[in-house]
Order: sequence, then C-alpha cells, then structure tokens
Amino acid sequence: MTQAPQEQPESPTNRPPSMHRFKNWMRRPYARHVMIWTVVIGFLLLPLCWLLLAAMNQTGAPASEIMQDIETTVFVFTLVSIPITAFVFAVLLYSLIGWKRISSDEPPMQENPAIFTNRIGVVLWTVVTSALAMFLVVWGMIELAQITANSYGTISANEQPGGNQSVIVNVTGQQWVWTFAYPQTDGLVSDILYLPVDKPVYFNVTSKDVIHNFWAVELGVKIDANPGAVTTAGVTPNKLGTFNIRCAELCGMHHAYMETEVRVVTQEQFDSWVREMGGRRTS
Amino acid sequence: MSSVAPAHVHSAEVPQPAQHGKPGGIMRRLNFGTGLIGGIGLAIIAGVVTSQFVPSGYASPVTFAPMEGEYVYLAVLLGWVIGFMAGMGAFVGPIRWMLGRESTHLDAEYMAGKDLGRSRYWKYTTDHKVVGIQYLIVTFIVFGFGGLLAMLIRTELGATWTEVFSPAFYNSIIGTHGIAMIIAMIIAVSGPLGNFIVPMMIGARDMAYPRLNALSIWLLVAAVPCLISSLFLGGIQDGWSAYQPLASQAPIGMLGYQMTIIVFAISTGIASVNLMTTILTMRAKGMSWSRTPIFVYGIFAASLMGLYAFPFYQYSQILSLSDRVFNTSFFNPLEGGSVWLYENLFWLLGHPEVYVIIIPTAAVLMEILPVFMRKPLFSFNFAVAGIVGVVALSGLVWAHHMYMTGWAPAVNYPFMLSTEMISIPVGFLVLVVIGTLWRGTSWSRLPLMAVYAVVFNKMIGGVTGIYLSDVPADQYFHGSMFVVAHFHYMLMGAGFFGAMGGIAFYFPKMTGKILDERYGSIGLWTVFVGFQLTFGSMFVAGLQGQPRRVLQFDEQFDISNWISTIGAYTIGVGTLIFLGAIIFSWRDGPMVSGNPWASKSLEWQTPTPVPLENFAVLPVVTERPYNYGVPDPYDEELRAHDGDELESAGAR
Repeated sequence: MTQAPQEQPESPTNRPPSMHRFKNWMRRPYARHVMIWTVVIGFLLLPLCWLLLAAMNQTGAPASEIMQDIETTVFVFTLVSIPITAFVFAVLLYSLIGWKRISSDEPPMQENPAIFTNRIGVVLWTVVTSALAMFLVVWGMIELAQITANSYGTISANEQPGGNQSVIVNVTGQQWVWTFAYPQTDGLVSDILYLPVDKPVYFNVTSKDVIHNFWAVELGVKIDANPGAVTTAGVTPNKLGTFNIRCAELCGMHHAYMETEVRVVTQEQFDSWVREMGGRRTS
Repeated sequence: MSSVAPAHVHSAEVPQPAQHGKPGGIMRRLNFGTGLIGGIGLAIIAGVVTSQFVPSGYASPVTFAPMEGEYVYLAVLLGWVIGFMAGMGAFVGPIRWMLGRESTHLDAEYMAGKDLGRSRYWKYTTDHKVVGIQYLIVTFIVFGFGGLLAMLIRTELGATWTEVFSPAFYNSIIGTHGIAMIIAMIIAVSGPLGNFIVPMMIGARDMAYPRLNALSIWLLVAAVPCLISSLFLGGIQDGWSAYQPLASQAPIGMLGYQMTIIVFAISTGIASVNLMTTILTMRAKGMSWSRTPIFVYGIFAASLMGLYAFPFYQYSQILSLSDRVFNTSFFNPLEGGSVWLYENLFWLLGHPEVYVIIIPTAAVLMEILPVFMRKPLFSFNFAVAGIVGVVALSGLVWAHHMYMTGWAPAVNYPFMLSTEMISIPVGFLVLVVIGTLWRGTSWSRLPLMAVYAVVFNKMIGGVTGIYLSDVPADQYFHGSMFVVAHFHYMLMGAGFFGAMGGIAFYFPKMTGKILDERYGSIGLWTVFVGFQLTFGSMFVAGLQGQPRRVLQFDEQFDISNWISTIGAYTIGVGTLIFLGAIIFSWRDGPMVSGNPWASKSLEWQTPTPVPLENFAVLPVVTERPYNYGVPDPYDEELRAHDGDELESAGAR
C-alpha cells in the first residue's frame, strides 16, 4: 500500500541549503556580471593605494615614524574602501549599460517586478559595512595611540628644559611668521627650524595674535597655535633633509606666505649651528 | 496613492467676523517695492541718527580702530531688516490681531494670493506654492552670487604666476563664497521643494502656519543684501567659519556676515517649526508613517537638525558681534575669553548643517528613483532607519573639526568613533539606492541621470570623509585642499546635483512646463565633467600638501591648480547651460499634464497648475507610495515571478 507523498508548503526547513541557493543565484547572468565588474573595477582602483602615497611623498615624506604611520593608515583605508566602492560603481554602471533602458518621451507602460526588500542582501550589507567601519575605527584608535606614544612617549613628564634626551622647541606663530626658540640653549631664537636627526623633539606651540596651525608637512606634525594657550606636539625626525613648514589655518592677509623650512641635520651639524648662532647649550 | 475619497464634510455654520473694506486691507498696497522703500528709508534714517549720536574718534580699546563706522553699519543693517519687513507687511498681521481686528476668510484668501496673477510673487503671500517659487528664485540668486565668487577664486589660483587680487580681497571672496554657498545649498532643496511639494505630498491644503511661511522667505530675502553689502565694506576676510580672534580683526564688513547669520537663523528656525508641525499634524487620512513618502522624512529630519543646530550658530555670532561692537570678551583670549568656545559653538552648527544639506537631497533622489525605475523603493524601512541614524549621530560628531586644535586630545577617540559610525546609516541610504536600481528597466530621463551623478560623487565624498574622520590621517589632511575637495564632493556633488535632479523632477509640477531634456542633460553632464576635474585634482593638491585658503603656493602645486581652474570654468559653463534650460523651458516650453512622469504619489495627482488649496476634496491614502509593479494591492497571495529572491511583494 503506497501513499502519495503529501505536498508540503515551502518552509525554511526544506529550502535548499544556502550554498546551493547562492550558486543558483550566481548562475544568473546579471549576478555574475556585476560580480565580475566589481572585481575589474576593484583592480582598476587598486593602484590608488600607491598613487595617493606617491602624491604625499613628492617632497621627501615620510621623514618620521609618525608620517610613516599616517601613510600606512591612508594605504589601509584606501584598500578597505575599494571593495564597497567598486561594488557600488559596478551596480551603477551595470544599471546604465547592462539592464534595459528606455528613453521614450512617454512613461513606459511596463513596470518592473516589485522587489520590496531582500533580507539576505540587507543583512549582508549591514554586516559588511559595519564590520569595515568598526575595523577602521579600531585601526584608527590603535594608530592614534601609537602616534601619541611616538609624539610624547619618549618625553618623560617631569623632564625639565635642560634635559639632554630630547630637544625642546617653543614655537610661536604670529601674523605671518613662525619663530622657534630653543629654551635648552642660552636664548637661541631662529625663524628656520633646525632639528637633529633621530632625536625626539618636543614642541610647545602658541600664538601671539590669532589662531595659526603649525604644520611640518613631511614630518606629519600638525597642531593649532592658539592665542592664550600652549598646545604640545612631538616627533622624532628620522631623515636628513630640508622640509616644509606651513600654516594650515587661515590667519589673515598673508596666510599663504606664512611658511618656512625645517632642516633636519646630524647632531654635529646641529651643535655647530647652535654655536654659530651664538647660542650655548646650557646643559 | 491614486485613490481619492471624499472626507467627512462639516456642515455646521461657523459665525464669521464682519468684513471691513476690501479684502486684504493695507496688504493691498504693500509689496516688494514698498519693502525696498521701507528698508532703504529706515536704513538711511538709522545711519544718520547713529552717526549724530556716536562721538567721533571713539576707539575700540582692543583694536584701536575707530568705532563710529561699526555703530553706523550695525544701525543701517538693523534699519534695513526691520524697515524691509515692515514695508513687506510682516507686522500687519500681529498689529491687526493686537487691535482686535480679526481677519476674515476673504482677507486670508487675498493673503494667499487669490486672483492676484503674477504680482503675488512680489507680495507677502502665504500660499505655500508661491513661497516655494520664491525660495527657488532666491536660491538661484544666492547660488549665482556664490558661483561668481568661485570663478574669481579659481581665476586667482589658476593664474599661478601672479596675484590677480589683493590678499585682503581674495580672503574676503573665499569667505563670502563659503557662506553664500552654504546658505544656497541649505535652502536649495528644503526651500523650494520642501515648501512647494511637501504639503501636496502629504495631502494638505497648505502649511500649518502660512504666515510664518511668508515670514521665513522674506527674512531670507532681507538677509541677502546684508551679505552682499559686506563685500563692499572689507568683506569677510576670515573664511565662512569666522574664527575668533581673526574675526575681530576683520574690517566692518564682518558685521554684515554676523547680521546675515542672525537673520538667516531666525528664518531657518521658523521654516523648520512650520515644516515639522505640518508634517506631524496635517498628513492626509490614512497616511500612516509607513505610507509617508521618504522625502517627507528627509525634510522632517533636516528641519529637526536645523532647529537643533542653528541656534548655536546664532549665539556664536551674537556673542561675536557683541565682542566687536560692545567690547565684551567672550572670545578674546587676552581678556579671559576662549577661542575654543567659539570653535565648539560654530561646529555644533557646522556638522549637523552638512546633513541638513545632504539628507533632503538624498531623500529627493529616493523619491525620483521609484518613478524612473518603475519599481518600489528598495527596503523603505531601511531608508528610514538610515535617516534616523544620521539624525541621531549628527549632533555627536562636531569635534572632528577640532582634532588638531589641541583643545582636548582625549576626546579625539570618542569623536573618531561617532564620526566613523555615521558611515553605517549613510551606507543604508546607498544600499536603498542600489537596491532600487537592481534588475530594473530604467526610464532614463534627466532626473534619473542626476541620481547616478550623485551616487558616484557621494561615494568619493564619503570614502574621503572616512580618511578625515580618522585622527591619524586627519593629522595630514586637516586644513589642506583635501578637505576642500572632500566637502565639495559632499555638498556640491550630492547637494548641487541632487538639487538639479530634484528641480528637474518637480519642474512640471511647479511650472506646468517640462524641463528641456537635451539642454538640461548637456548642462548636467558638463557640470559633472568639470566637477570631477576641479575637485579630483584638488584632492591631488591636498595630498601634496597644499593648505586651503591660500592665494599663492609652491610650484609643485601648479599643475593640479591649473586643471582645477579649467574644471571650474567648465562647471560655470555647464551651470549656465542648465540655467538657460530652466529659463527657456519655463518661458517657452510646452504645457504638460498634471502627472507627466506617471508617478503614483499624491503630489502628482493634483492638476497642474495646482489650484489654491491644492485639493478640492482632501484625499484618503490607502496604500504605500511606491507600489510600482504591484498589479493588485489587495491580493494577499501575490507572488512576483521570482519568489526565491523576493521576500514580500505584498502591498500595505
């Protein structure tokens, strides 16, 4: 005695396994094409990772550990952004070229099948974008902690001006020049920043009039110079050469001309420069 | 939402106040002309009187500059605003009300511009459709002014071998360009479309407070001359952010900026309250939140953020003005003030304001998409969640503009978190767009092309925004041209292109004509190409290390600046083509029917031109706004042809 198998309504239990369904889905030409286009566009965008750094490195960067960290961050962010960007661009492009287009003057009679939502797509998108965003947050926080350590970690909090382990520079912005004072010497003041290589530098930054921004471009140092307050930054330059210092906050008429140089030199050259300038190391 | 059913009609007699004289009373004599006369007259009187009373030679103890000009200019500005509003008739309503003279139905009809023809656009008209058109015109004027200044900036930066303008004048044009464009972009979608379309979209006869609506537009009109006048008095030489203490060094043109912001913030606040009340209380019967179109959500979100953010800006400018004119020291560090206080107040506006611009444009695109894709909006709930998420986070991210100020290095961590979190709800909106594009046969017309342009730009702007939200990367990019390129990709790439799309889409409803497809498209794509050249190469300049707001730079930046300038002129040409398309279509285009896009949402079911009070019979909403591709909304068994992928195709 045989009984005809009862027809069961489709329920989650007897749906095909998800891998199988994914394969089925991928068999559709549009799905395959969008995926291929995503990969192709992703590879076309990939050189950007290096091109951005090439643009940043035109004048000799990175000249410090901090700038190196910044560039690594830029590289990683570009890399992580590419898949999502490539996918969105692929859908945009495929929608323009792949799926049918009507360009009549009258509204088309035919309507597309209604897709109100798609649970898998929505969940996948949310999970992927959130995971990427969270990865970037964590990455940024670790890098920031590292940069903070690179800036200040080598300076012990109670080290007095006069300690020999690091160079202290008092940076003063005023319309429209930078002044660099070396408190460890006997009143040495310069309008070009000289720094010894491979030695931690500690900047106390302030302003005499309006807000400026002390930006040592290739060293990756940037901090506002505020009137009535002292802000701090630190860096250890690790490359010999002459680099740019610019003002990165609009400070009035000659903001554009408020730039000078930082010359990273060897310790011997630095010491002889200090002597030449009539400064005497007090330590 | 095509079904329109008669609502319950009240038949009880309501006693009406007696009509004195002709309807409208004194409002019959007041228009833009009397406004100008009143404004200029009172400005002159205030200026002359002030100059008599302020002792000449009185100097500010801070800057040692003679103060006479400041008082006179302030009096002139106040006189202009008050006189103009009085001349327009803004005070007639409150005065009549205080005198106990109730206005009659005929008065209200006169105020709404009934049978006034074109002259209603020049009057204190309460009809939301008139206000929408007025906003559109003001947007064009302010945008044109800001765009002209942009051309001057790029001319200066393109001519790398010489200074075209003096440094002072250059600084004043970048500041004025900034604030003019910010104002233009804030009103570009929320103003014309928010006022013209939203009441029709929700099935209302007008806004909740029609007179406040007129007040908001004419206050905006009063603010524009304040801004333009400042350019002739030394201008805004400190960028649109007007950081202290640089702002107190600036010439007296600065007062024009402060006055503009104070008046503009009042106008925005009034408009926000009005829009929010309208949306909350005046939706048609049956329009539950799930049947409310997404554009209404967008406008509501923008109004909410504006209402929260603009007071900060207004306070910061009132305090700045007080520092300047009355020698207080809120922001003067030499006398115990704080520059960081100003920065905080400013950016508490500054960042929500970005979303005030972007969310309505994103929402209008999501309104365009279903119509031209002939598909429902993908995952409506997700779109709403995206907007809610952006609104919730928008107030918590302001200090990412202050990473490098040294104000409080420890808070950089939480602000980095909140700023990067905002990419998640923004990502929702991107998914909604690509989900709606997915597998759709598109009807490729101009408004849809704007959607493609915006999504492209927004991806680039969004990704570069993630760099800037990250403190280590911002340590390099802060204050460089990279930032300028990024926010132009967001505000112009999304805001301006979105406004072009939105205006092209609603043009038939607003004017009865259809925007010329050919010239409109040429304009749009010319702007698009120029835009990529201008701001793409600006990214390169920023990566190379060019600071923003400079008028001279090292030779290494020459090439990217030349390309940028060529792109900017291309944008200028494209904008003129688009504007030409608008003007000629408006004047000479063929009339179209009330619903040329065959849209299913409520605003398109009205006849064109839209009659006063929009609906003869108030509609009742019975279904979702985007039920394209759904043959019978009541068929519970409905399955689309591909049940595997389509989760639910049911209506409701």
